[in-house]
Amino acid sequence: MRYMIIVKANKDSEAGVMPSNEIIEAMGRFNEELIDAGVMVAGEGLHPSSKGARVKFEKGGFTVTDGPFSEAKELIAGFWIIDVKSKDEAIEWVKKIPGFEEGEEIEIRKVGEASDWQESGIDPALFEKDEELRRRVEKR
Amino acid sequence: MRFMVMVKHKDEYGPPTSEMIAEMGKYNEELMKAGVMKGGEGLMPSSKGAIVTFSKSGAKVIDGPFSEAKELIGGFWIMETKSKAEVLEWVKKIPFEEGEVEVRQIAEVEDFTRDDVSAEALDKEKAWRDRNWDNQSG
Repeated sequence: MRYMIIVKANKDSEAGVMPSNEIIEAMGRFNEELIDAGVMVAGEGLHPSSKGARVKFEKGGFTVTDGPFSEAKELIAGFWIIDVKSKDEAIEWVKKIPGFEEGEEIEIRKVGEASDWQESGIDPALFEKDEELRRRVEKR
Repeated sequence: MRFMVMVKHKDEYGPPTSEMIAEMGKYNEELMKAGVMKGGEGLMPSSKGAIVTFSKSGAKVIDGPFSEAKELIGGFWIMETKSKAEVLEWVKKIPFEEGEVEVRQIAEVEDFTRDDVSAEALDKEKAWRDRNWDNQSG
């Protein structure tokens, strides 16, 4: 089952402050561990919200607001997608993320899969074509 | 340039209707035909998740649902376009009548300043990414 690991932003990430080389290397080793264990599906860092935008949809139109956005805690700075046997395993991996020890918050969310749709009363066949196409583009 | 396009919800959300699934399917097909779609997932509500908070004394785990969450991500796409303006044009076509979408640029290894200090770290980052994608297409 796949889980998304969401790293919340903070003042530094929003200011574009680069992590130290030590942290970059520790992250690299952590990522290699994820790959070696066969759990890594994807991982990306995001540029600060100053390079982003929000689009609000309302009946009759939309409003586009350019970043930056305040409330760093509500923003995300990066994520991983991992494929593991259980939520507990996902949590164990998150606890190993290096360089976090000052109130950083990580959100773990389950990626919707056929069994989840079934549980919600949705026929997974409705997603089949969509999922097949998406799997194809996820492979480079 | 790659962008993460996130669908946001103010509170816990329910499963999509079959109409929404069909409309999204058509939208995703358009994205794929245009070569813009590079990934996308729907996320289950926070009741199936958890929050981990780190401190000097260790990590604290709180199971979902998240009572304090102001906003939740419901799902996301990864889109590749020539510019922020182009990705915003695609976002406007999402079949939503209401709601909010946040667009953020993905940091590529090439985006970082390369100097004597960072070169080695950046090379390692690029190497594991190339390796990761090899694993993916296997």
